[in-house]
Order: sequence, then C-alpha cells, then structure tokens
Amino acid sequence: MDADFDIGIIGGGPAGATAAAYLAKAGLSVAVFEREVFPREHVGESLVPATTPVLIETGCMDKVEQAGFPKKYGAAWTSAEEREIDRMGFRNLTNGFRSAEVLFSERDQTGVDRDYTFHVDRALFDQILLKNAESLGATVYQGVAVGEVDFSGDLPVMRVRLGGRSVPITVRMVVDASGRRTHLGNQLKTKVTDPVFNQYAVHTWFDRLDRSALAVNKEQADYIFIHFLPVADTWVWQIPITDTITSVGVVSQRSRFRSFDGDREKFFWNTVASRPELLDVLKNAEQVRPLKAEGDYSYGMTQIVGDNHLLIGDAARFVDPIFSSGVSVALNSARIACQDIIAAARAGDFGRHRFTRYESKLRRAVRNWYEFISMYYRLNILFTAFVQDDRYRLDVLKMLQGDVYDDEPKVLATMREIVRAVEEDPQHLWHPYLGTLRAPAAAPGF
Amino acid sequence: MPVIDRARINAAITAYVSVQFLDESELSELEQETPLLDWGVLNSMNTSMLLAYIRKEFGVTVPPAHITWRHFQSLKSITELVHDLSAQQTA
Repeated sequence: MDADFDIGIIGGGPAGATAAAYLAKAGLSVAVFEREVFPREHVGESLVPATTPVLIETGCMDKVEQAGFPKKYGAAWTSAEEREIDRMGFRNLTNGFRSAEVLFSERDQTGVDRDYTFHVDRALFDQILLKNAESLGATVYQGVAVGEVDFSGDLPVMRVRLGGRSVPITVRMVVDASGRRTHLGNQLKTKVTDPVFNQYAVHTWFDRLDRSALAVNKEQADYIFIHFLPVADTWVWQIPITDTITSVGVVSQRSRFRSFDGDREKFFWNTVASRPELLDVLKNAEQVRPLKAEGDYSYGMTQIVGDNHLLIGDAARFVDPIFSSGVSVALNSARIACQDIIAAARAGDFGRHRFTRYESKLRRAVRNWYEFISMYYRLNILFTAFVQDDRYRLDVLKMLQGDVYDDEPKVLATMREIVRAVEEDPQHLWHPYLGTLRAPAAAPGF
Repeated sequence: MPVIDRARINAAITAYVSVQFLDESELSELEQETPLLDWGVLNSMNTSMLLAYIRKEFGVTVPPAHITWRHFQSLKSITELVHDLSAQQTA
C-alpha cells in the first residue's frame, strides 16, 4: 500500500506548522490538517526567547519581525504587599517583595541573537507560521478536521472530514499537534489529568489599558506583568498585544471558579477586585472581547511516542501558563521531534524505538518545568526575593528564557532547599507567605 | 580570614536598621534588645533587604533555615547570628 503523504500532522498551530516546516525542508511530503480556518483567536500570547532559534531555523523570523508585534525584553512581577511596606517606612532601595523584574539580555542563551522576544496576536502569528510551512512545500488543509486515526494496518490511516464525507488518508507517520484538544491522547486513552494544578483561567482583551499603572519602573510597561493577588494561588497576566490592546487573564484554583457557580463575569471581576488598584486600571479601560475560559487545565500523557506516531506541543503536555512556555514548548518539541522523524524516514522505519531520544528529552524538560512551576506557586511572593538575589538570578532567568532542555537547572535544588526550610519551621519569618498549592513529593508519572 | 569583630557587626547592622527601617521619631528608642519583629520595625519582607546587606557587607550568607523569629528578634540576636555564621563560613 502506498502512502498519500509521508507525514500527516493533526493541527496547524505553532507546533504543527513548525513540524511541517522542518519536515518539508528535509524533503518529506507533509500534509497539515487544521480544523479551523486561519486567522483564528488563540490564548497563549507571550513568547520566551527559546522560540528565537526555532523561528530563525524555520525561516519565520523575518516575517515575525515585519509583523510589528510588541517586543518583549523581560518580565516583571508585582504584588499587593506594597502598602504594608510603605507603612513600615520602607526606603525602597531594592524592591523588597513588592516587585521584581528581569531582562532577558542579562543572560546569554545559545542560538538567541537578540535581546527580546515578542508578545503576539496569535491569530496573526499562527497564520505566519502556517503560511511559511506551506511556502516550504507542506500541503495545508484548513477547515478540515481529522477523525479517528486507524493504526491497525501497516500504515496509519487518518479519517479526514472533507465536504461532509470521511476520506481515508494513508500516511507513514502521524504527528499529533492538536493542542489542548489532545486528539490522539483522547483516542488512545493515554491522557492523565494533573491533580495538583487544577487551575482555571478566564481571559479577555482590553483597549487603552494603562499598562504602566502598576509598574514600578514605568519604562517597563511593555514587559509581561505577573500580578500576584492576595488570594491563594491566584495571579493575573498583563500582556501587550498592540500599542493599545492588552491581554488580561485571571488564573485561580478551580474551586474558586466553582464558588462563583461557574459564572465567568463574577469570577473575573470579583477576583481582580482583591487588588483595588488593578481593578481601577481595568475599569478605566474598555473590554473588547467577551471573557473566555480555559478549563481541563493541566494534564500529561502516559505515552507521547508510539509506532508511527508521536505527540508535540500542548497535545503532549500542559502544565500551567505562568511562564509563557506554551509556544516555546510547541516550537522546541517540534524541533526535537523532527530530528528523530527525519532520521526515521531515512531509515525507512517509524517504529516507536526511533523516537526515544525525543521522548526522554521532552520528558526531562517538562519535569524541570513542572518542578519550577510547583515551587513558584509554593514560594508565592517569596519568588520575587529569589529573582532579586544575585546568587540565583541568572539561574532563574535561564528557566524564564525557556532554556530547559538540558540537565537539571541548578536553581531547582536551591528553591527546593528554601521551600523546605520555610515549610518546616512555623517560626520562619517567611512562613506566612507560602502559597497553599503543594506539589506532590514525587513528580507525576507522566 | 579572621572572624569579623562582633562590635563591628553590631555597629553596621544597627546603623543599617536605623537608616533603612526607622523614622526619625523612633531612632532614639532603638536599643540592642528592642523587639524588632514585635514592633514591626523588621518584618518578613524587609528581612530580604537586610539579608542582602549582610551578604554584601560581611560576605556572610544566612541559610534559609536560620531566617527565623529567634535569630531576628533584636539587634543583639542578629549580631550573634552573623558573628556565628562568619566564624563557620570562614573556618
């Protein structure tokens, strides 16, 4: 039986488009099946510098630069502790726990040739990547959904819905880049929900929001801002999309969302109101999109590679959006996976054992990432002290740059030690500031 | 490197706390046994500033397990802590 394509990719978002670009460049025949018609809205708008080498390799960087997205030079955190510190006569030589910020350029990163990354309107960004894949020779079908993939024969057969009919497309290998829809994870029943990060996000866009209102340094208004709220495990993202449009999202525990009877409006506005100065900023701006919710928050897969298939990006794993890792994991997992896929194609063997290098590399990265995020939530506002400490700053920055695909970052051991010391001693001065979200003693088995 | 002199540590920390964390009106009341935490002069937040100062001034790193009520309750206890740590860390 002859295959219609070498590789069939489910989903044309950043993971699928990047995989298609690498594979088409390597001379493979690639089909991308995207169920929606681009441009379409998508959450996950802030990038990290680890995307830069991939965008350069796939030939997208010039187009991304030309699109004029706001440049992201760093990240900043603010907390509500400001007022108490003022009352205590704080002289503000450093920022205490009130705020912290990092510049990406403080640390050199392999393959990253510029001081910034981007905040993007995902409708435009994703379209640039998908068009680029097409220009490199990938066949792109938009508005075409994939149904079940039949793995029972020698070659996988994708059931593709075209004009009300189910059309069989035979491929030598399937790449699942279906994002949070987790197409193959659902079909193969390999998806496992994460019991710890049972969070919920509600987000929207605002026009003419005063981005500098909560910034300590007003010149950093175009950073991504993470605002801690005085509510357990709850924070707000503030991401510039254009000169005047700002994306704002509230992330909190799912139980909190339930306590508002699942009412998005109440959840969003009541949660934001816990920081009155933030509420003021939002009230003075115009909301230009309806509130959108992201449930089914955090998950992994018992298997991310198998005979004739593998999973990349959000289709493989999603932890938490706190450090803007989504697009970076999409691009880098596609890059690493494609090295194995191209070698498999040359060997004429798409068996599972061909993808173990990708699997171990992605799992290691995700494990590091998972632990970093767990400790971030546990440290809560103490994290800002961590960022400011010159002993840890560059190691934290390495994580924030998305540079997580090698060995265990040193900072994890240090964070672990500090969290343990603060947890174990109720007399510890920082004990009252710990977040309530506790990671399990061992990383989850997926 | 010899252990840093206790009097020098005490003078520097007293000066730092006075200048950074106290208003003019409170200055005259600051004594070696003044309960800094009870009075709210020192709190969980500005301890991170004090820790950074201690590290910069004396090259002494306070381990996370030592950032406790007992060690930070007064100028006297902070001085003892830094003195003990400097002895350990230069040994």
